[in-house]
Amino acid sequence: MGEMEQLRKEAESLKDQISAARKAVHDVTLPEIVSGTAVVGRVQLKTRKTLRGHLAKIYAMHWGTDSKLCVSASQDGKLIVWDSYTTNKVHAIPLKSSWVMTCAYAPSGNMVACGGLDNMCSIYNLKGKDGNVKVMRELAAHTGYLSCCRFLNDSEIITSSGDCTCALWDIETGTQKTIFSGHMGDCMSLAVSHDFNMFISGACDYTAKLWDIREGACRQTFGGHESDINAIGFFPNGNAVLTGSDDGTCKMYDLRADQELITYQDPSIMCGVTSLAPSLSGRLILAGYDDFNCNIWDSLKAERVGVLAGHDNRVSCIGVTPDGMAACTGSWDSFLKIWN
Amino acid sequence: MTQLPPLVFCGRDPMSGKVCSSSSNNVMQARRAVEQLRVEANMERIKISIAASQLVQYCEEHGRSDPLLTGIATSANPFKDKKSCVLL
Repeated sequence: MGEMEQLRKEAESLKDQISAARKAVHDVTLPEIVSGTAVVGRVQLKTRKTLRGHLAKIYAMHWGTDSKLCVSASQDGKLIVWDSYTTNKVHAIPLKSSWVMTCAYAPSGNMVACGGLDNMCSIYNLKGKDGNVKVMRELAAHTGYLSCCRFLNDSEIITSSGDCTCALWDIETGTQKTIFSGHMGDCMSLAVSHDFNMFISGACDYTAKLWDIREGACRQTFGGHESDINAIGFFPNGNAVLTGSDDGTCKMYDLRADQELITYQDPSIMCGVTSLAPSLSGRLILAGYDDFNCNIWDSLKAERVGVLAGHDNRVSCIGVTPDGMAACTGSWDSFLKIWN
Repeated sequence: MTQLPPLVFCGRDPMSGKVCSSSSNNVMQARRAVEQLRVEANMERIKISIAASQLVQYCEEHGRSDPLLTGIATSANPFKDKKSCVLL
């Protein structure tokens, strides 16, 4: 038997082992556990603020840890930092490349980052001495587009890329400390755990992976989606993962049971999920879709309990403030809306 | 039934981004894939009855302080413009 054939057989056997192990702990389903729980009442959120200023499609937004400032990225070639309480623009940062796909706010509030078809992650210092916002570092090494980035702290950032890898960078030296490879398709999205020890990635190979940041290793792989995973996030208790896909569904996977708990789907939904964010308790999941809407799901009962309708084009990004007080949607219609 | 990705990807090498056509590259990839599957097969899993009930418990404990779920009083809503009277 050639080595390839041997390896193929071993792989099949291990896959069967994993399937069996998952089945062995599948003693009940989430719907069965919550059969006695009532669905949450209809959730009607109103637009409280509209952030106007971008001149083209908005591709990404991210809240700062103060739940007041947020950053957005648009293909008009600008990063805008907004005071969401007043709708004032705190910073309007012109970008070298207008083909931006992601942005991030550092937990400290000192920096923002962005990247896209330039294959780079550019870090901007918001607290420079002379008050001007300048590029602090250009992290270049990915051989594909930058789909997502998230700061761990002021000196480390994690990126996901169309080159099928994710990376941990040392911002000071501008080098990749760790490369996370294993996905067989473009990495589209990532989210960092609350304790900053792990992160999850969603990719065009239809899987989500859980990574140990310090070990540089993939711990778990979750399948089941029938198309690209565009959005990913941690459930607030840190023990489950939420994914949104081009197959029109969102799923929740439990990390410790190592399998899918439930799918959020409706036959009337025929378009892809672009973005998602859980509410503070996790009971609500807000998901943005290609059909210009955002659906609000009861995460335990898997029923739609509300809709955010107000954008005139695709909802490309969504984020809930760390204090849970509001949700922000960003759209290809060039506006951001704050809802609660 | 969850599906796992294919064993070998005949195309772009995820590590280098280069198109791989040599058989030795495929063997290396296959070895890495098998090692990864071993790591994933070895994890300790807990029963869904425990995992899911803890999830439900978390929602119940934190639901009362979830502003989007409970609603926010106008006076406590930083995004709502508060109307104030001015005495002329």
